Amino acid sequence: MTRATPLVLVVDDDPSIRQTLSRELAAAGYDTMEAADGMEGKARFEESRPDLVITDLAMPRADGLAVITAVRRIDRTPVIVLSVRGEEEDKVRALDRGADDYITKPFSLRELLARVRTQIRRAEAGPVAEVLRFPGLEIDRARRTVVRDGQDVRLTPTELAILELLAGHAGRPVTLRQIIAKVWKGAPATTVDTVRVHVGSLRRKLEPDAANPRYIGTEPWVGYRFLAELVEG
Amino acid sequence: MAADQRAISRRGRAAWVALPFAAALVTILARLAGANATTAGFAYLLLVLGLATWGGWAVGAAASVVAMACFNFFFLPPFGTLTIQDPANWAALITFLIASTVASRLVATARQRAEEAQSRQREVEILYDLCFSLFAASQRPGVLGEAAARTLRSIGAESGGLYLAGEEAPASTFGPEPLPIDRDLVQQALETQEIAEARGTVFLPLHVGGKTNGVLVARWPVAPRAVLESASRLLALAIERERLLGEAAHLEAVRESDTLKTSLLRAVSHDLRTPLTAMRLEIESLQGRLAGQPDALASLGGLSLEQGRLSRRIDNLLSLARLEGGVARPHPEPVPPSSLFRAARESLSLILADRTVEIRVEPHCPDLWADPSLALETLVNLLENAARAAPSGRPLELAASPEPESRVRLEVLDRGPGVPPGVKRMLQGTRDLRRTADDAAGDSAAGGLGLRIARGLADANGGVLTLLDRPGGGTIARLILPAAPEPPDPVEGDG
Repeated sequence: MTRATPLVLVVDDDPSIRQTLSRELAAAGYDTMEAADGMEGKARFEESRPDLVITDLAMPRADGLAVITAVRRIDRTPVIVLSVRGEEEDKVRALDRGADDYITKPFSLRELLARVRTQIRRAEAGPVAEVLRFPGLEIDRARRTVVRDGQDVRLTPTELAILELLAGHAGRPVTLRQIIAKVWKGAPATTVDTVRVHVGSLRRKLEPDAANPRYIGTEPWVGYRFLAELVEG
Repeated sequence: MAADQRAISRRGRAAWVALPFAAALVTILARLAGANATTAGFAYLLLVLGLATWGGWAVGAAASVVAMACFNFFFLPPFGTLTIQDPANWAALITFLIASTVASRLVATARQRAEEAQSRQREVEILYDLCFSLFAASQRPGVLGEAAARTLRSIGAESGGLYLAGEEAPASTFGPEPLPIDRDLVQQALETQEIAEARGTVFLPLHVGGKTNGVLVARWPVAPRAVLESASRLLALAIERERLLGEAAHLEAVRESDTLKTSLLRAVSHDLRTPLTAMRLEIESLQGRLAGQPDALASLGGLSLEQGRLSRRIDNLLSLARLEGGVARPHPEPVPPSSLFRAARESLSLILADRTVEIRVEPHCPDLWADPSLALETLVNLLENAARAAPSGRPLELAASPEPESRVRLEVLDRGPGVPPGVKRMLQGTRDLRRTADDAAGDSAAGGLGLRIARGLADANGGVLTLLDRPGGGTIARLILPAAPEPPDPVEGDG
């Protein structure tokens, strides 16, 4: 990132949401620009290359999916999708097409700003480190070891692969389809139930309190999200 | 084939009549030509073969005998008598008889085979034409009458009609005048799946795939039985195809209607939630800017509470519309009760801000097998009702425990006034969620609406919702949902 202040592009057909979001993002220390539909969003992205895109899904002229496709054609700029309940399938489609996160309307400003911070931080960070450190958890990708609260956790290769995938996307949702594609290399016989069984087993070994998961959260309809935040250094 | 049979018998009669004349003609010509015995014998042999070819084996046999008699009478000495002088002539006569009989037999058989082959060819042509006209030529809907008429024409019936199973009146009739139909025979053909026949009228059952979908009545059909059976099977297939096309069109209409409902609901959902989002963002924004003004903040808090309530009500109504419209398809997945409870509390964080909510999940309580969104909405409705009913000083409780038969019991417990009688009646009464709209007037209606929707959502999730009076005062809202299947332990060292 070359800018001192990150630039955020807000694409939404509702002027009131667009303006409030711009104002609040500016108050939180970001530069902003707006687009009223997908076509304008694509044009704005191409001319200004913002550091983050927040886009609605249902819009007149090119929708949110078209915006994601256009962004992904150029680079890995983080994209957060604004969706509403009842658009679950579109939400999953958006994530599979390359969106980094979603937030469901009506959402709270605090929540959105937290997601924006996570995405900007991720984009600023370099490549994923060999050792991923979270509060109480350390994943050494080179030595293929997992240590929780000072204790070695023995995982099967599949469980370790899932954990590495989720932890490597800490704070961001990972869809079931993405897990199948990455961990099982898209093997045709793999079903979402297979994924759930392995995640269930991973949770039993990893979570100190199953009732209050510290690391692996479920995203209804979508997949999973690694909840803990990376510890710097 | 009946027409062919009639033609053959006509030809046979003509051959019989021609026999004496032909014998006389050959004799006269042979005598006039001064033919010897050998020449005459060959001439008579030709006569026999000709008649056998024309009229069949019986005429050929008779011609052999007549020819032998004429041969003996006119050409073997002593002439003019049926006696034989030279024993060698006996051998000639008997040889002639055997040769002519065998040859006439062979010729007649060959002729018969050729006629049979022609007849089969005609049958195949008839069935092919029928097949083509029923399945290829017409793709228009509602052509059953036309298909029946084509079938009747192809089997050469003078008149007839088509009766469909389960219908009194004929689906179509064919021919110059109405046909008097014996309904009992139609019924018999339908039930026995056998061809029935009475006074020249044939009742052909139309069966396909083990069921009879109608009867074709044909008056004086000329086609043989094998063709009638094949033709009726083709017509049965055509009727079945009509039925399937009709069903497909209906399904297509239902699918289109579902698609329309879904897109309409999505549009409404988007249009209602967008202003709510804008409201919420503005409220939060104002909360930040009015940080030092407690009075204004209190008002904003109230506004926020109402915005949240409106949001949930809209969620409820849209869920209700989806359930009612049949476009809500639950996507069940394993849901841990604790995470569901936590999510429900977070959804109502403003309402529950100054309340204690105790959560109890029994050890070894299995995960739920439910659509997470629907399960959460159900629980939020129940929790909101409990919060509204119970005095603010008393804690609310959320409990999860295993139930027999792989089910999980979720309970929302409060110390409010207990279950109002009206609500009990409502839960026990009609399951028609549409009544909700009529009931949604008055203060208690919000709770009623929430409960009705909770029940609708519970139903959609394969669960059961009951409201019970709690011992010691208060209400237990009990939701029984299926448990998630226990995952098998993955083998160590897999992958």
